[in-house]
Amino acid sequence: MKTYLPYITLTILAVLPLLGLSSYWMHIAILVIMWSVIGMAWNLLGGYCGQVSFGHAAFFGVGAYTAAMLYNKLHLSAWWGIPASVFVVALFALLLGYICLRLRGPYFALATLSIGVIMRITAENLVGLTNGDVGIQLDKRTWIDKTWYYYIILLMAVGAFVAVKKIIGSKLGYYFVAIREDQDAAESLGIDTTRYKTIALVISGVITGLAGAFYMNYMGYIDPKVVFALHDISIITIMVVMVGGAATSAGPVVGAVIMVLLAELIRSIPKLGTAHHTLFGVLLIVIIIFLPNGIVGDFSKIRNLFRTRKAAP
Amino acid sequence: MKHLAVAVSLLFLFGLFAAPVLAADAFDLVIPLPLTGKPAKFGEIMKRSYEIAAEEINAKGGVKGRKIALSFEDSTGKPEIARSIVEKLIDTKKQPIIVGEYTSSCAKAVAAIAEERKTPYLVVASADDDITQKNYKYVFRQNQVNAHYGDAVVSFLKEVVKPKTIAILYESSAFGTSGADAMEKDAAPMGAKVVVKEKFETGAIDFKPLLSKVKAAQPDVVYTVAYANEAQLIMKQAKELRIDMKLYAGGAAGFAIPEFIKGAQDAAEYVVSATLWTPQLKYPGAREFADKYKAKHGDYPSYHGASAYAALYVAADALNRAKDWTADAIRDALKATNLKTAYGPVKFEDKEGYQNQNFHETLAIQVQKGEFETIWPKSHASKPYVYPVPSWKDRK
Repeated sequence: MKTYLPYITLTILAVLPLLGLSSYWMHIAILVIMWSVIGMAWNLLGGYCGQVSFGHAAFFGVGAYTAAMLYNKLHLSAWWGIPASVFVVALFALLLGYICLRLRGPYFALATLSIGVIMRITAENLVGLTNGDVGIQLDKRTWIDKTWYYYIILLMAVGAFVAVKKIIGSKLGYYFVAIREDQDAAESLGIDTTRYKTIALVISGVITGLAGAFYMNYMGYIDPKVVFALHDISIITIMVVMVGGAATSAGPVVGAVIMVLLAELIRSIPKLGTAHHTLFGVLLIVIIIFLPNGIVGDFSKIRNLFRTRKAAP
Repeated sequence: MKHLAVAVSLLFLFGLFAAPVLAADAFDLVIPLPLTGKPAKFGEIMKRSYEIAAEEINAKGGVKGRKIALSFEDSTGKPEIARSIVEKLIDTKKQPIIVGEYTSSCAKAVAAIAEERKTPYLVVASADDDITQKNYKYVFRQNQVNAHYGDAVVSFLKEVVKPKTIAILYESSAFGTSGADAMEKDAAPMGAKVVVKEKFETGAIDFKPLLSKVKAAQPDVVYTVAYANEAQLIMKQAKELRIDMKLYAGGAAGFAIPEFIKGAQDAAEYVVSATLWTPQLKYPGAREFADKYKAKHGDYPSYHGASAYAALYVAADALNRAKDWTADAIRDALKATNLKTAYGPVKFEDKEGYQNQNFHETLAIQVQKGEFETIWPKSHASKPYVYPVPSWKDRK
């Protein structure tokens, strides 16, 4: 059963648009999948390799701005941003890794935190390149209908899922986990830790950048405060993984469902919805306290909770 | 514990899907607004104003005999959430017209959707010039474009202050940037040189380095574009540093809400600001609305409130005139709008490269004895302006 679960999920997701969902639900579905892509990317670096990044908005934003600037400066379709962002973000991540990955633990986290903010301020001030705070807007989005957007982001999600799974199953993945468990021990075994951490960062960054380029095409408008947001992007990314379950393959997907779909549902409750931040915050606290390994990581706990009840007459 | 867990989760699910009980034949109008986050202050003013307008319209019989049942959804100032709300309104609720939003980035997201889905959208208080420059057919804007926000202040400067030099401070946002650029463009015809043009981070607290720079350049006038708190802090710190200026001027938003006077207190005195509306205007219903708002909420509303209040009238008027509630009928009705509202006359025109834009007069206000007084243009003035402004040390 467990091995088939990804295939079943994928089949359901693949036929989802054929069910004639309204544009609103398609929008929510697209956001959920987009966030699970970002979550998977973060999970590779943070969950498996143990390098906690508080600045994934930097990659997201660089990806988004690559697409936006191709459109704005070179008058190409913003879709070119998707292949182009791979190179741009990879280069950016390499540079970043070269500087920041010499740092460990909280120092690395703080460095990435500041990178996110630095990128925002840079984008705000390079007015000639980025239009500054005014942002970049597509005159027209490619499709009004959401089916294609949906399949494109779904394809990205499948790609990211398979890539992460393959990497984790390979030698590279074992290096990552070794680094997470004990960096000194890993080094003493002959693992070039900085190099492998950089690899993790680059892959993670590229996947996040792809999601950013997609975001630009899908939303049609970005400005520095939207894509380089500390809270709205970087922190939500971490929450997606933490709530779903770090270092689990299904974790980011479950996390994205909670962080997007549930947040949306709570916000839509009549009357009570006004306090959505409070309600959602309480829910997150409860999850973190009772399920510290996330919903997927602590799934057995949840199952037991319900199973014992059935046993009792 | 186990029973509790199941009960709680059931209750939670129930809460999620419990449908709201609706009045039989009411016209549901959901307004997307920022009610949390940084722009929440403005969202709140607008929410209260929509409520007052809905009450009045309903008392007069509603739209096409149906009462307006108003509700609000919090867009938190995030474009993708604003988009979610509007997609839902168009798809599941089949709402024939969208009214609302505040921040320009959210309004842009909503405008794009409204245009794609051919649903009329009335922009209430989002300033960014772009919104009505995109050849959108279904997007209408009631408030003035940012490029014209400062018009009254510019004419006041030109005719009264006649500055030789000007410093422009602005916050890093779309609103701040385009406001500052507009003032820079207006400076040359005025005969003023821009000596300082500096950006500050939204949410900054310490403006002393920036103000010292201004002090060193010794401009005649400082023009600042800022949201709520920054405006108050800049004036307070300018007072602490005793930087004397011929005139301190502000570009609407943070300088034109009651919180500015409350926060900056006596440092706010004599500051001139651009605004789009004041309670002292002689438009029909302006005074009544302002008094009603004050009686209910303790303060006079800013232009955001008046625009929201009038927007509901404009929407109701268009819905009443539209022969049926199809998108095109409502669009045509909106286009033909010619309504005298408490916010001023509303008419949507295509000119200067804008489409469906209401060009209305802007005003200059000055804080005098802790109250906003309309000082410019003279035809709308409630009090004569105070100029020259006494230096900090001569003030009591």
